[in-house]
Amino acid sequence: MLTKTKLLTIGFIAGLLSGLLGVGGGIILVPAMTEYAGITQHTAHATSLAVIIPTALVSSVIYGMNGNLEPLTAIYLAIGSSVGAIVGAKIMKRLSPSQLKYSFGILIIIVGLRMVFA
Amino acid sequence: MVITIILIGLMAGILSGMMGVGGGLILIPAMVLLLGIGQHAAQGISLLVIVPTALAGVWRLNKEKLVDFKIAFQLAIGAVIGALISANLIQSLSSATLKTVFGLFIIAVGIRTVLTARQSKLKVRAREHPDQD
Repeated sequence: MLTKTKLLTIGFIAGLLSGLLGVGGGIILVPAMTEYAGITQHTAHATSLAVIIPTALVSSVIYGMNGNLEPLTAIYLAIGSSVGAIVGAKIMKRLSPSQLKYSFGILIIIVGLRMVFA
Repeated sequence: MVITIILIGLMAGILSGMMGVGGGLILIPAMVLLLGIGQHAAQGISLLVIVPTALAGVWRLNKEKLVDFKIAFQLAIGAVIGALISANLIQSLSSATLKTVFGLFIIAVGIRTVLTARQSKLKVRAREHPDQD
């Protein structure tokens, strides 16, 4: 497959997921770029963020047109989470990553089960 | 209420910074389960929060010349088309259905996280005690 077609397809799948679930799509973009387009992990991570900007913007406009957006809540959350992300990255350097990731995985499985069954 | 929302954002930010995952994965369940926001609105809000966060990330990482804009452009064309389709389609889904779909998605991510964490733990152990293998 041509690289161009490959990239469009990867993007398309990530975009579908982003609009469907309200996430950025990095979860698809980063591994797909490293595995199928031969891009290094760091570049893939940085490049995925550039893809996420227009994608999330377009999706949020559509959600907004359907009355499914609260801009004020978004602003407050953005303030909190931008500070939190810096703190989180600093904490991470002092802890054992695999133990932490294991616990985090278990936590989101439980949260997911609650969302499915509650 | 404002303080609560900022604190939830802070907690979500800390977790996503620590785990290297996008904010949406944590923000959406937090909004739905802790703030009682509907699934659709939570996803819309999450998308809006992601935009400035990603912008800041690109700004920072571009200084290290890590952003490949040529590749990003190709991916973005596909991604915007995909997002236009799915974001429109899901608006007619019921909140309960969308919540279930989202729940299944994070369960899958959780299982993957547990499996990769276990794998890297085994690798570390093998490196520290090579004779035991």
